Parts: sequence; structure tokens; C-alpha cells
Amino acid sequence: MMNGKNETGTEGCIDEAIFDNAHIMMVVMDKNGTISMWNRAAETMTGYGKAEVIGSAEIWKNVYPDPGYRHEVTHRIKEILAKRDYFENFETSIITKAGDTRVIAWNTREMKEGGNVRIVSVGVDITKQHEAERKVRDMNSFNEGIIENAHILISVLDQKGNVLIWNRAAEDITGYSRNDVVGKNTVWKSMYPDPAYRKEITKKITSIISSQMYFENLETTIVTKIGEQRIIAWNTREIGNGIWQHEIAIGRDITDQRKAERALVSYISEIAMRLKNPVEILRDNLAELARMTRNGTLTFDEIAVTLDGQVRSTAQVAANVAEFQKAVAEKNEEIPEAYRKFLSG
Amino acid sequence: MVISIKPESLEQKKIFLVFSQPATIRQKNIEIIKTLSSLGFHTVVVTTNFPYSVLKKLYEQNGVSLEHVTFIDTITKYSMGSVQDIPGIVRYVNNPANLTDMGIAITEILKELSGKKVCILYDSISTMLVYLSSSNISKFIHFVTTRLRLMDISGIFLAVEKGLDPQLLSQITTFVDEIIDD
Repeated sequence: MMNGKNETGTEGCIDEAIFDNAHIMMVVMDKNGTISMWNRAAETMTGYGKAEVIGSAEIWKNVYPDPGYRHEVTHRIKEILAKRDYFENFETSIITKAGDTRVIAWNTREMKEGGNVRIVSVGVDITKQHEAERKVRDMNSFNEGIIENAHILISVLDQKGNVLIWNRAAEDITGYSRNDVVGKNTVWKSMYPDPAYRKEITKKITSIISSQMYFENLETTIVTKIGEQRIIAWNTREIGNGIWQHEIAIGRDITDQRKAERALVSYISEIAMRLKNPVEILRDNLAELARMTRNGTLTFDEIAVTLDGQVRSTAQVAANVAEFQKAVAEKNEEIPEAYRKFLSG
Repeated sequence: MVISIKPESLEQKKIFLVFSQPATIRQKNIEIIKTLSSLGFHTVVVTTNFPYSVLKKLYEQNGVSLEHVTFIDTITKYSMGSVQDIPGIVRYVNNPANLTDMGIAITEILKELSGKKVCILYDSISTMLVYLSSSNISKFIHFVTTRLRLMDISGIFLAVEKGLDPQLLSQITTFVDEIIDD
């Protein structure tokens, strides 16, 4: 223990070795902020040496160069110390001599010795922790942004099916707002109003979940708030940390895709009907005509009329093929221009 | 070739969709008319394949009595322009895609034959697909079948086997009473 000032600035009953070798910043000052003690960690953290700080309050101007911020910090400290003689984990950002910003958590206590009031401050550099927390906050914000702005329905459910998260796409696709669904499990009944279909879907989900804990591209038809039917392809995963367990459900609205697929199948089917079978009939008509001509059954005019009919039908089939080619070219922009011209020609 | 349309179903004025292989569709047409004639039916043949003049000879060659057959010919006018109807025997429609004129012709001929046991034979849905979309054909068949039911008349629609897509088939299935796929 030391009494009185010495060459390192320690004084009174503070152990010089402990003070100086502590891994945390330790500062002793008077009520005006004039520094009387400044340990090695304080030097390391701030870049300012004892010789620069002891006997003066100027250091605070250096570490808080922004007058507004400095005033704010000073005001807050005075405010706390007016009510009690200590504060804990009061965080401020200081600027080091090298110009870096460091976040310090201050624990301060007023100590009275005789008529003197000394303030002992211990500062812990929490810059890394602060940075990590900021990164976590940023990441959370980033994740929330992704969830919120994704063009797919994202919902997180607890084990009772209560909705915890319901993103904007979920609102857009289903018509149900967050206020309608969050904290409740009633939205599923609303989206699957037919009890028989709901039962069928529930059975299917239960069966899949019991075997593999998740499902992929399970297609269901939901009814939106305004009564429209939409086809959703669902993917789910369980998320949790052993204490809590949630289900994340991702739903892709494939209504338009299915509609387009159905239209394409319908179109191809229509063309097949209007090409293949009629051509077979024309072939058989001509075969029949040839047979009857050989038999001498038909007059010249009858043969000509029949052939004309078949020619017109063949011309119509050719027109149907051309119409089909043109429609294919128009509907498929990925077909190269040269081929599109050929098909449209 | 035996046609499995039951006489009692014809007597009940049912409406049929009959499938056939492309190569045998004409033979099936002839067999149906023979069956109908034997049961005392007058057949109205709507032809979209062969002209009346050729079909007539084909029927005669195959022993079909033409006194019990009336034709609605959608080919001849389409091929050679103007041609005169022969009352009670043939009525010409200017082309196979003109469903309005075809509908009028069917309605008027059925009126002319009122009081007789009549069956309409439509040959064929598959050829109609050359000229018309499936949705238009579906609407037309709906129109014809409704009219047939109102007039209590039997009808048979011929089509090539596996020639109708599931959607058109399911629509036509709802319009007819029986599907025959020999």
C-alpha cells in the first residue's frame, strides 16, 4: 500500500502494483476530472501516457473531442453521481490518440477520504463485444429484412401451430395480415375452410412429419381472405436449440406456374387432337377413295369433289400447324430469333 | 363387325359416343345405320368426311337402304360451291365449321321427321377437329344433345379411338348417356 503521490501517479491506499498491472483501465480523479492516477491499461487503451494526463482534466477533451457528446457524457455522469455515489457499466465511446474509437464500460465510485472526494473509475474495453453485438444486431436486422422482403411466404410456428412470424409475402398471398394471424393458430382453418380437405392435408402432413421431420414441395390449395384459391408448394424445417422448437414454413405461390403448365398441356393436347387424328382420317378417306375409284364406283365429278374436300381439309390441317408454330414462337421468348422467324413464317 | 349399341338403349332415346379405329370408322358408320334401320329408325347422317354422292354409293354397296337415311352434307358445297338441297334426302351446309347453319339444318330436318323414330349419326367429332377448336365442338355437341333431349330423339357421335383429350372427353361424357368403345 502506498500513501501520497509517487512517480506513477498512484496515491493513498491503492496498491500500486495491482493498480498499474491491472488489465482494465483504472483512473482516479477529482470532482473536476483532474487525473491523479492513470494505469498502464489506460495508457494502452487510450494511447495517452501518464505524463500527458496526470494533473490535468484535458484528457477528457481529447478522448471526447466532440463537445456535444462530451457535454452529454459529463451531464449524465453528474446526474448519476448526484443521486448516488457510484455507477456501473456506463458505456461511452472514446477516441484514442491514434484516432480509433473504443467503447468503454465504466464502473465508477466516489471515495471520500477526510475532506477530499476522489472518483475511482474502472473502464473495461468492450469494443469487441460491442462490435460483436452490433454484428448480431445487423445480422438479425438483415435476416428480418430477408424474411420480410422475400417473395415467398415465410411463417414460423410454435409447436401448437401458433404463428410467430408472418412476413409481407404471406400477407400478400393469403390476404391475412400479421394482426389477423400472429399469436394464433386459427389462420389454417381459415385457409383450409373445407373440413374434409383440411383433414386430408393434416393427415398427409402428420404422416410426412412422423417419418422425416420435414416436408418438401407439398402442394396444397389455400383459400385467401377474399376467397380466391391459390396453390402453394410448402417446404418446412424444424428449428430450435433444445429449449425451444419451432417450425419454419416456406410457401411458394405456384398458382400461375400451374396455370401456365395446365394451359401448355391443354394447348399441346388440342394441337395433337387437331393434327394427328384428322390426318389419319384423311389418309383413310383417300385410301377409300382410291379403292372406290379402282372399282369404277365413282364418276369423275364425284372423285373430283371428294378429292377437293380432302385437299381443303389438308389445307386446314396445314393452317392449324402454322397457327400452332406461330403460337409456340410467340409464347416462348427464349427461342432464338432465327427459329422464331422460321416458326412464324 | 358387331355394334354393341343395345336396341333398348336406342328405344330409350339415349345419346351415345362411339369410338372406332381410324381405319374402321366408315365401316362402323355403315353398321350403325344398318342396325338403326333394322330397328325402324330413320337416320340423319351429318357427314364431315365424304360428300353425300360418294357416301350414298358406299351405303348402297354395303346394303344400306337409303329410304331411311337423310344426309346433312358439309363437304360438297365446301368443295365445289353451289349445289341444290334435295328435300328429304340431303341438305347441304356451306362448310364443316359453320356450326350455326349445321344447327339450323339439324333442327329443321328433325322437325320434318317429327313423328318418326329418328336417330342422328354424327360422323365424326374427330374430323370436326380439323375445322374447329375443342371448346367450340364441345359447345356445339352440348347444343345438339340438348335439342335431341328436348325432341326426345336418339343420337350417336362417332369419334376416333384415343382421339379426344381428357378435357374434351370429360365434357362430352357429361352430355351423352353411354360411351361405346368396341
